[in-house]
Amino acid sequence: MNLSLGKARIVFTAPGTSIQDLGRHHVASIGIPSAGVMDQKSYAWANHVLQNEENAAVLEISQPGLTLVFDYPTELSFAGAKVQIFLNGEAYNSGNTLLIQAEDEVKLGKFYSGRWLYMGIKSGFATEKFYESRSDFPFISRKFYRETGDYLPYLPINDSPQRNASPKWNTSWYEDEVIVAYRGPDWSLLNGELQQQLLKGTFRISTQSNRMGIQLEDLLPNTLPELPTNPVFPGTVQLSSGGKLIVLMRDAGVTGGYPRILQLSEDSISKIAQKRPGEVVRFHLE
Amino acid sequence: MKPSYIQITPNLGELLWKLPPSDELLALQLAYMDFLQTDWADELHSLRLGFTRISLQWKSSISQEKFNRLVPNHQMSPKPLSKKVWEIPVCYALELGEDLNELAKEKHMSVEELITLHTSPTYRIHFFGFLPGFFYLNGLHPLLHAPRKPIPRLSVPSGSVAIGGSQTGIYPRESPGGWHLIGQSPVVLFDPQRSSPVWAKSGDQVKFMPIDLAKFQSWSYDIPTFYLS
Repeated sequence: MNLSLGKARIVFTAPGTSIQDLGRHHVASIGIPSAGVMDQKSYAWANHVLQNEENAAVLEISQPGLTLVFDYPTELSFAGAKVQIFLNGEAYNSGNTLLIQAEDEVKLGKFYSGRWLYMGIKSGFATEKFYESRSDFPFISRKFYRETGDYLPYLPINDSPQRNASPKWNTSWYEDEVIVAYRGPDWSLLNGELQQQLLKGTFRISTQSNRMGIQLEDLLPNTLPELPTNPVFPGTVQLSSGGKLIVLMRDAGVTGGYPRILQLSEDSISKIAQKRPGEVVRFHLE
Repeated sequence: MKPSYIQITPNLGELLWKLPPSDELLALQLAYMDFLQTDWADELHSLRLGFTRISLQWKSSISQEKFNRLVPNHQMSPKPLSKKVWEIPVCYALELGEDLNELAKEKHMSVEELITLHTSPTYRIHFFGFLPGFFYLNGLHPLLHAPRKPIPRLSVPSGSVAIGGSQTGIYPRESPGGWHLIGQSPVVLFDPQRSSPVWAKSGDQVKFMPIDLAKFQSWSYDIPTFYLS
């Protein structure tokens, strides 16, 4: 058994690349956000096809151009966004997993659909843990995100794995407009008219969206008061005094003062994470 | 002062009190936090405290149903609040409190009066949020309440002491922010290298202690001192 760690060298990356797992959940009491993968559904698939543990660390990528060179054999998986993948310069488009030999280069091309790509690796990336999680987060983990020139450690494999063919990754689940939500704790502050506007309208994803939150372009003018600050979670939809709807995501602070009007279902958090600016959603009350 | 419980999703719910934030309410909330952390720990994924709510994330919807049936009839005695008062040094120099002059003018008071109003109360720490190590305080004098700035600053320096709405607080690190900056503290509010990254706890108290610029610049203690009230 080869116990020395392999390294994947980041030859190039655009901003927005980070190591993520399911995040940290026992430190919210001192104000530390959970962080973790934006789209848990795709992440689970990326680990499942490699038979990894369910909390294994992956690379979360949001832009084309990422280039990695691996120094020992391993196996990769891809899920989330639909992306063009090159292995040593040749287009790769078969299967869920990709066997890597020493010195192989993997490069990402165009993003066809979706916002976040998950690159799983056999046994997970072996980066440092902070508060029981490997998720990058500013001022908590040593690395805030991953940059060109960085190395990502992993445990190499010795034998080619035998895999049963698993169904190919399908992206249709995030392509429709419907976002399933529950009434948030402050839902009852909305009058009937505002509730109808929220449920009948369509809302466009704005360019103001990142790992902290997704702002929607279409406004919901209101006269709701600002409230005492109370807990919020990924998937909480806040309504600001200016009428802006903000869907809080994984890096959002653990409390907030705007009315919390909806709470997305777990699957819909993954779905809205994969929406790109300009795409449209509608809310369906559960 | 029994709370009600609302189920938000199959796995998420909230204990809520229809009361404004106060020491009495906090003492009840902390009693509930202790109770939940001992009696329901195995069934809870996480717990979060706010000014008037406690949010409960359940591992399963069955646990939440069980809680919803049992707990609303529960009578809880308040937990006595901590007697610790942290003395936090703050330099209210105009160089560090960029909005000090303007805010005093808006409030029709002198800068000295504003500083006196800010340093006289003993504030209560309710919970942490917004940024790692940022504590939410109750007790700001109503004369100092001020709506947040219409356009937030892109960068507020670490340690900034600020007022926003009915709140006052200290930015534990550099961050964007919409509050009025009135000073800066040299202490470290959050240090991930320490085994416990924050020195204060929910229920502790805070008193701001004015220091001059020379003292601010030569300050060398990361953790403030405290006394018992």
